[in-house]
Amino acid sequence: MRNIMRRALTPLAVLLLAACGAGDEKTTGDRAEPAEPSSRTLAATVERADGYDTLAGVVANAGLTHVLEGVGPYTLLAPSDAAFGAGGAGAFTDETLRAQGAALLRAHIVPGALTRADIAAALGRDADGSVQMRTMADTLLTFSRDGEAIRVRSESGASARLTGEESVASNGVLQPVDALLVRQDQPAAATTP
Amino acid sequence: MKTIIPAAAALVLALGPAQISLAQDHGRGYGGDHARSDDGGKGGGRDSGRQAERRQDSGPDRSGQDSRGNRGRGGDDRRATAAVERIQSRAPGQRSDDGGRDRKDDRGREAGRRDQAAREVERVVARREAGPLTVFRVEPERGLVRGCPPGLAKRNNGCLPPGQARQIARARYDYLWNARRDDGVYRYDDGYLYRMDQRGSVLGWLPVLGGALAPGAVWPQQYAYQPAPDYYTDYFRLNQPYDYRYANGALYGVDPRTQAITQVVALLTGQPITVGQPMPAGYDVYNVPYPYRSQYADTPDGLYRYSDGYIYRVDPTTQLVQAAIQLLA
Repeated sequence: MRNIMRRALTPLAVLLLAACGAGDEKTTGDRAEPAEPSSRTLAATVERADGYDTLAGVVANAGLTHVLEGVGPYTLLAPSDAAFGAGGAGAFTDETLRAQGAALLRAHIVPGALTRADIAAALGRDADGSVQMRTMADTLLTFSRDGEAIRVRSESGASARLTGEESVASNGVLQPVDALLVRQDQPAAATTP
Repeated sequence: MKTIIPAAAALVLALGPAQISLAQDHGRGYGGDHARSDDGGKGGGRDSGRQAERRQDSGPDRSGQDSRGNRGRGGDDRRATAAVERIQSRAPGQRSDDGGRDRKDDRGREAGRRDQAAREVERVVARREAGPLTVFRVEPERGLVRGCPPGLAKRNNGCLPPGQARQIARARYDYLWNARRDDGVYRYDDGYLYRMDQRGSVLGWLPVLGGALAPGAVWPQQYAYQPAPDYYTDYFRLNQPYDYRYANGALYGVDPRTQAITQVVALLTGQPITVGQPMPAGYDVYNVPYPYRSQYADTPDGLYRYSDGYIYRVDPTTQLVQAAIQLLA
């Protein structure tokens, strides 16, 4: 009797799991299996996301909307409006700062589709507990564990944590971060050789 | 889904030795002929058909492609293309098209392209001795143009006498341009980056994305670029009548008559990744695009990493690049 019950329950459990997966939209937390990508591009996803108006403005101002609508794929580490404000870079939506906006965005974009599950899996495999990805600005971002969260640090020393929920777009992934990944307070003299 | 991944992994494992031997074979005797046969056999009808129609001047990985009789599945091709064919057979409905490009257009190629299963055509290009697969070199100085930029008179040794660095003022956002510590000092002004020495003299200059390199602007005459390889025409779907150029991390479309930049197409890392060489730093995390994840999942024998339109297969122990896979729609 007990065996029959088990055999009956197992497929039921599988069905329930499958149903849970199907009910997901395009966002995911830290699940082992990422959700199916939405039909929206990365550009459209940024436009529609709540709390990322500054980022959307910087993308448009820098003339990179077409890039984020294209084939890609890219993973955009997306600073929130608060992050732009705290970093003093809210002005990058201004038309006099187009090149600066483009440079900032490139430092926040890595190639391919990077989900939290992918990063977590890489961190789990790595003996040092840190893994690196290369940005479009040709700098390296270092990911590591920060308690429950994932921290990302740039070569310049700026660091942020992955927050909120990722969004898988048709041509990449939006990974919200809580701070800018470029250093603001580093004095220019420090870079003089 | 959970059963597919192990199956895919098993398939990849089975193919792994075959692919490696393919790389080795080609490494020994690789030349233009092999490239041609590669395309015909692996890519199947669609790929060689397209090449026959469009390709005159080929990139480094397709030397002198011309019309090939061997279209379709190329079942009689005795090399390890059998390995590739097995992958192709898992994409139902895609291989039925044997013809050239026109026929595919009639069938609504755009719709077919969007179909994820239809994108699983690959051409494993594993050339050891033909140099880097990606055309781009990482310019150590980003294509810096030596000397004085237009508008700054040449004085002494570098355009500006010492102390006049104020002319290219230290701007509030200098940190953006000096993120790479080993790079020297750069200042930004009005569309251009200027490389400075300690005394404030200008050593060189380059136009930057969003500044002098923006839609509407004319391509600066002295600024060198690399023409986009044919593969990128396919991958990025560059179907406008523009010159497509790569420079310093971005792919631009340029009107050939006016030399005006019409669009920024893509961002690229520009990393030169070469089969047989170590994978560069910065590809630690699995980042394969979604449509290809079921096909290219990490295994103990091979890791897959995406960069600039290619999926690279990397040996987990040696970190050497084993294969570069083009992703053709």
